[in-house]
Amino acid sequence: MSPEPARMPESNPFVEVATHLFLEDLAAKVGTAGLNQYLMSLARNLAQSMPEEEYPTWEDFLQALREGRSILSTFEEIRPVTDRCIATTRSPFERGWREYAKRVGAFAAVHQEAAEAYNSRVRRAAVTSVHIVLHTFREAAAARIRVDSRRVRYEPIATAWVDGTRAVIGEEALKGLLARARISPTQLGMLLRNHADVWLLEPA
Amino acid sequence: MIGRAGATGVVEFWQRVGDSLASRMGKEAYLGWTSFNVAVREGRTAFSIEGEVTPLTDMAITDVDGDVVGYLYAMRQCCYGPTITRTRLSVGRMSDADRRVAEAYNEEVHDIAVCNFCVFHERFREEIAKNVSVAGNPLECLLLATRGWNGETKISPKNLSQVTIHEDHVRALLRNYECVYALLMRGARLKGEGP
Repeated sequence: MSPEPARMPESNPFVEVATHLFLEDLAAKVGTAGLNQYLMSLARNLAQSMPEEEYPTWEDFLQALREGRSILSTFEEIRPVTDRCIATTRSPFERGWREYAKRVGAFAAVHQEAAEAYNSRVRRAAVTSVHIVLHTFREAAAARIRVDSRRVRYEPIATAWVDGTRAVIGEEALKGLLARARISPTQLGMLLRNHADVWLLEPA
Repeated sequence: MIGRAGATGVVEFWQRVGDSLASRMGKEAYLGWTSFNVAVREGRTAFSIEGEVTPLTDMAITDVDGDVVGYLYAMRQCCYGPTITRTRLSVGRMSDADRRVAEAYNEEVHDIAVCNFCVFHERFREEIAKNVSVAGNPLECLLLATRGWNGETKISPKNLSQVTIHEDHVRALLRNYECVYALLMRGARLKGEGP
C-alpha cells in the first residue's frame, strides 16, 4: 500500500537551489507579499493533490507517522515525542540550503522578508521562506487525515533553522500549545538543540 | 505558475533563473583540459552543482589541426530524476505542467527537453560555460542528448553536427547516461567548418 523507505530517493539539492532562485525571480516581480501568497498556494495545492488518509485509532496514526507512511511524514524525518507532540529531526530543505550557501553564496534576503510577511499575517513561526511551505503544507495535509472519523489539526510550536535562528510561537499562545502537546518549556528547549521543528497534532 | 504565465511564460522564467544562478557563481580558470577534467571528477567546478558529472575523456573533440578543444560530459542521472520519482511515489503522478513546459521549449527553443527542468538546465550550463576558461579560452556548452524518466530520448542533430560526433555514439551513451553534453573552447575551428 505504501512505498518501502528505500524506494524513496533523496532529491538532488540542485533542484532546490534552482527553486530558490526561481522564487527570488518571482519575488522581484510580485513582491514579498506576493511570494508569501504563492508559497502558501503551492503548499496547499501539493497537499490537495495527495490522497486522503484514515486511521481507526490515534495509535495507528502515530505508527504510520513513525514508519513514514503518512502524508505528514512523506517529505520529512519526523518522530512523535508524545502522542500529540511531533519533532522533525532534520529540515527537508537543509541540504538545499547548504548547497546554496556552498556553491552560490549567502541566501538572498527576500526569503527572510517573505517569512516576516508570513509571521505578521498568519502566525509567528517562520524563519525563512521554506517554513511558509512547511507550515502551510502540514496544516493542509493534516486536514486530509481522519482518525476515528475526526479530522487532525496542526499547529506549529517552534522552528530552528540551519543557521541557528529560531522562531517560537508567541508567548501568549505558547503555554497553551505546550500543555496540549504535553511537553514542558524545558523539554521544548531540549528538543530545539537537535531538531528542526516541533509541532502539535491533535484531533480537531 | 503555468496557470498564470502559461507554458511559454514558465520557459522564460526558467531561462531567467538559469542566467541568474550562473551569474552568481563567479568565474573559474584551469590550466588545461587535464586539470579541468580532474576538477569535474572531484566536484569542484561550477558544473558540479548539478551532481555527479563524468568527463568522457575517450570522446575528445578536436579542431582542424587535430588539437583537443573539448570533451563530452555525461550525467548518469538527471538532476530532476529523484524529484520525479519522489513526486510519483508521494503524490501519485507528475503534474501535466511538466510535460507542457517541456513541449513549449521543444517547439520554440530547442527540441531537446524531456522534462521542464531541462529548460533551466540547458541555459544554466550555457551561461556557466562562458565563465569557465581552460588554457585561457572561455568554454561553450552544447547539450547533445537527454533521456527522460519514461525512457523517451532526445538527440540534438544541430549540436551534434557542430562537434562532428555521430548520432550512434551518443545513442550508445544514452544507455548508461541520462544527459550528455559537450564542453569546448569557444570559437574553436572544428573539422567540417568553413575557414
